[in-house]
Amino acid sequence: MSLSTERIGSQPATSRAPDSASPIFSRAGRRSLRQGLLAVVLPAMVIVVWQMAGTDGSLFGGVLPTPDRAWQAWKVWAFGSTGLSLNPYSGTWLANLIFSAERVGKGFVAAILVAVPVGLAIGWNRIASGALDPTVQLLRPIPITAWLPFSIAVFGIKDLGAVFLIALGAFYPIVVNTAQGARDVERNLIRAALMMGAGRWTVLRRVVFPASLPSIFTGLRIGLGIAWTAVIVAEMVAVKSGLGYVLWDAYYVGRMDVVIADMASIGLLGLISDRVILLIERWVLTWRRLQSFQS
Amino acid sequence: MGTITFENVSKTFSGQTEVRALDGISLSVNEGEFVALLGPSGCGKSTLLNLLAGFEKTTEGTLLFDGETVTRPGPDRGVVFQEAALFPWLNVWQNVVFGPQVQGVARSEYESRARDLLKLVGLEAFADALPVQLSGGMRQRVGIARVLAMKPRALLMDEPFGALDAQTRLAMQQLLLDVWQSLGTTVLFVTHDIDEAILLSDRICVMTARPGRIMRTIPIALARPRSITSLTSPEFMAYKAGIMSDMKFETIS
Repeated sequence: MSLSTERIGSQPATSRAPDSASPIFSRAGRRSLRQGLLAVVLPAMVIVVWQMAGTDGSLFGGVLPTPDRAWQAWKVWAFGSTGLSLNPYSGTWLANLIFSAERVGKGFVAAILVAVPVGLAIGWNRIASGALDPTVQLLRPIPITAWLPFSIAVFGIKDLGAVFLIALGAFYPIVVNTAQGARDVERNLIRAALMMGAGRWTVLRRVVFPASLPSIFTGLRIGLGIAWTAVIVAEMVAVKSGLGYVLWDAYYVGRMDVVIADMASIGLLGLISDRVILLIERWVLTWRRLQSFQS
Repeated sequence: MGTITFENVSKTFSGQTEVRALDGISLSVNEGEFVALLGPSGCGKSTLLNLLAGFEKTTEGTLLFDGETVTRPGPDRGVVFQEAALFPWLNVWQNVVFGPQVQGVARSEYESRARDLLKLVGLEAFADALPVQLSGGMRQRVGIARVLAMKPRALLMDEPFGALDAQTRLAMQQLLLDVWQSLGTTVLFVTHDIDEAILLSDRICVMTARPGRIMRTIPIALARPRSITSLTSPEFMAYKAGIMSDMKFETIS
């Protein structure tokens, strides 16, 4: 048997391969694979055009680096030696990422611990609503950037200042959405619980809270996005570490390649943390997912 | 146990335009009696039930349950809602034992009763199902089981089968007849369905709208135990003809 006949003989097998492979992926699996591929098309195109628009590794007369330069900068930033390097960012990526993530984590958790109970109280109790809601609405239009001087004056150039700004930024969407959820609880569910002998506290804990969870999660996702904005703003001004600090510092010394790598890192981290919240939401709100599946 | 007394009860909803929902309602329901409130939508029959449930407060008059003034909702008066009002995040079993649980009843005391009730309403195989996975009729059966789990002295039912299709409604009416005939709890049943009112009750209070008044009270002397086959008997038809002429008078005026 010659080589050529062997090759011809193998051709039908290769052309059959996609068919025989298709049962491995379910229809839903193939659909999500297709969506995944669709999702990367636009970013890939932007990167390719951006790369091709540059000459000698930069655009706009050296202002903006091409993606490959940013990639190189990230590699040094992430894996370079931390010792006596001329590059001050060398090998500090993970440490800075952890600084930022930790602040977001602390501020976000603090925001949840305050905003959810306060939101439930505002939505459920008329006295709490009258006492708290106007103040919340009064403070809410003040952007977190406007709180920066206040934060530095009170907390100094310290972690606590950054955590305060993050918590404050995340607080508003969580409290507003939680209150809305608590207000919108179906009246007959509350009546049913009262009829079965539940006291007000039990109604709050066992009816109003679970019924508000869909709204609470909406607030959490918006709040987390704001928390990432807040951490970058805070780190640019109020502390000396983290992705926000590196972003501003790199800009000052003209390292736009590091700036781009930093921006990409922030985006990626924000995306991952949002997916985590989404996963938790899916797990907690199974009863709701089934509902939408049926109807 | 389970006696209900309305003495000249009125209810006015305040607001931009005051609405007099109920006017001078007097009604007594004896222990173990099944009374239907029949009337068009907006006649205040649900309001009457909500007053007894303790969800709303009376504007005038006296409202007594077992000789005591009604002030708040409580497990002695089990309410079955039109749309079942189950907790969607709890499964069937958790919904049924919610009442005993929040009242602090020991698990050993309610567990076997709750299991028997699930069997009674034919849902023992669905204990782990979530409300959204059930049909409307099944949901309403859970609604009945969870109320019975509290051993109420009266059942207050607000058009409980109004949202169900005709066939399911018949099955639910039969189920309710069976349950009531074995338990003998007082029932106050709100409906706009003449057949349903005659089939189920000992007495029908026909109501008029704006303001809500009890126009006529009709004792139903059909033999018990009844079943949905009673729906076609001549006595049944006679009752229906009488009530329909009352209702017609109501629409002309």
